[in-house]
Amino acid sequence: MKKLALAGLVAVTLTGCSGSDEPQVLNLYNWSEYMPQEVLDRFQEETGIQVVYTTYDSNEAMYARLKLLDDSAQYDLAVPSTYYVSKMRQEGLLAEIDRSKIEGFDKLAPDLVNQAFDPDNAYSVPYLWGTTGLAYDSADLDGAEVTAWADLWKDEYQGTVMLTNDMREVFHVGLRVLGYSGNSTNPVEIEAAYNKLTELMPSVRTFNSDAPRMPYLEGETDIGMIWNGEAVMGKEDMPSLEYVYPEEGVIAWLDSFVIPKNAKNVDAAHRFISFVLRPEISALISADIGYATPNLAARELLDESVASDRASYPTEADMVNAEFQTDVGDEAMQVYTKYWEMLKSGR
Amino acid sequence: MLKVRQQPFKTAVLALVWGWLLVLVLAPNLLVVGTSVLTRDAGSFIALPVNLDSYRRLLDPLYLDVFLHSLYMASVTTLCCLLIGYPFAWALSRLTKPRQTLLIFLLIVPFWTNSLVRTYALKLLLATNGLINNALIGLGLIDEPLQMLYTEGAVIVGLVYLLLPFMILPLYSVFEDLRRELLMASHDLGAGKLPTFIHVVVPLTLPGVIAGVMLVLLPAMGLFFVADILGGSRNLLVGNVIKNQFLDARDWPFGAAASILLTVAMAVLLLAHKLSERRLGNGESKP
Repeated sequence: MKKLALAGLVAVTLTGCSGSDEPQVLNLYNWSEYMPQEVLDRFQEETGIQVVYTTYDSNEAMYARLKLLDDSAQYDLAVPSTYYVSKMRQEGLLAEIDRSKIEGFDKLAPDLVNQAFDPDNAYSVPYLWGTTGLAYDSADLDGAEVTAWADLWKDEYQGTVMLTNDMREVFHVGLRVLGYSGNSTNPVEIEAAYNKLTELMPSVRTFNSDAPRMPYLEGETDIGMIWNGEAVMGKEDMPSLEYVYPEEGVIAWLDSFVIPKNAKNVDAAHRFISFVLRPEISALISADIGYATPNLAARELLDESVASDRASYPTEADMVNAEFQTDVGDEAMQVYTKYWEMLKSGR
Repeated sequence: MLKVRQQPFKTAVLALVWGWLLVLVLAPNLLVVGTSVLTRDAGSFIALPVNLDSYRRLLDPLYLDVFLHSLYMASVTTLCCLLIGYPFAWALSRLTKPRQTLLIFLLIVPFWTNSLVRTYALKLLLATNGLINNALIGLGLIDEPLQMLYTEGAVIVGLVYLLLPFMILPLYSVFEDLRRELLMASHDLGAGKLPTFIHVVVPLTLPGVIAGVMLVLLPAMGLFFVADILGGSRNLLVGNVIKNQFLDARDWPFGAAASILLTVAMAVLLLAHKLSERRLGNGESKP
């Protein structure tokens, strides 16, 4: 409902900005709780461009909406994960990034640019990267040894487990526990992961991708999956919330700015990307919402407490076995979808 | 004279109603029907050729199971609404007019708040650290908080809370029409309270019961956000499956077919209602 209201707002503001004297508007479509308000305020103050901020809670929802509203050009910027960047790029949904209008691209970590999902970053600019790992409440699970995804299957956690409401991530866990790649396209492996996950279902209390820290803070769940930034934010309210890099390997992802093909305000979109790439702005974002910035210049500005927080910035040892999510193709997605439906319908 | 002057107005109203139904009811439903017989397409959501694969998939035991479970949840919800709503409506009809107006007003007030917001409010009540648990612990009735949120029970509580007015209002209108003389006559003829209830009150209020059941049963199967928020995002209701097909799986034809299944179920219920009404009518006219 909130999203509908916001979409309405977007429509109203769009019709209101045809005159050249009107203030410019940038329509930013982003994950929920993925951008500090301060950044938007400062951008508006500096440029006079008003940011209309709309949120989504899954790549799928974002994709469906962008695709449907493609012609009406409702958004100027979106922030898909890697495998959706490649999907949208291949479907011609994205506009090319004009590198001459972007400052600070050269400061991005070399291992996070020019990747297979978007060679030479023609269509995307990395925003934040992060991991999906294990969380547990050390106050409720006193002295518990939580080190691996497989620990979720233990009997004593019956009814206290939380999973993200994200098909790819949940199957990633199932696949890794069995020793397969989290990006498997093999139907046999996916089915095996499904069978493994059905054993976990009686323990699962809820799925949550709106704000995965909340079930822990609310006391509903004690152990399960979480995004690292959510773990950092959650720890501020609940110091006993611990983030663990599971032995089988953490799920890693990278979210990038893209400009939809029919964006109205391409210029403002480029200016916003440049603004975010400024070291002090990137540092502010990372410190505030707990995800890692790919901006090396920003990393030097980070407070020691942030830069040394293993939840945000993992060590090399933490990333052993880590896997970045990749596009598995539509055929495999349908296999995943079928088992996901079965998993969520099981009782 | 009067008739002639009313004619343009009547035409205008009819045109408005028909236009409304055509544009906002018939056209969208035709779009849904059209979508349901097309093929899923990764690029543009729907594509030719026309086929009935989506309907065939509905017969998959998985979805049949979801449908049956959804029907079970909706039936329990309806039963709860009936058990609460029936005495409520009866009591309501016995009050003085000003009080009736006040209570009906109170019944409608929650509609001023979005149902999604009210569902989140319920979550605050039912949570492990929520008001109910804190109160019970404070009173010393329990030591450990009860797990109420993210259960099927929580979803049913949510559904009953949201749908109860839809049961009460039609029941209230039939109780309003229930003439006291009929009850007195029944007593005068020697019937006790229970026989009067069974042989006089129940048959006369049955149309209200049926209307209420229809207004509660079908929506209860579709309110996906209640199952998402209070039930932990599982596929508890047909509504969840439909929403997932459109937003996550991007299988529009199948989502459309599933929603048509609900529409057809509604149509069957309406038909049953019609038939039962006719039979009831016949039964009354015979003696």
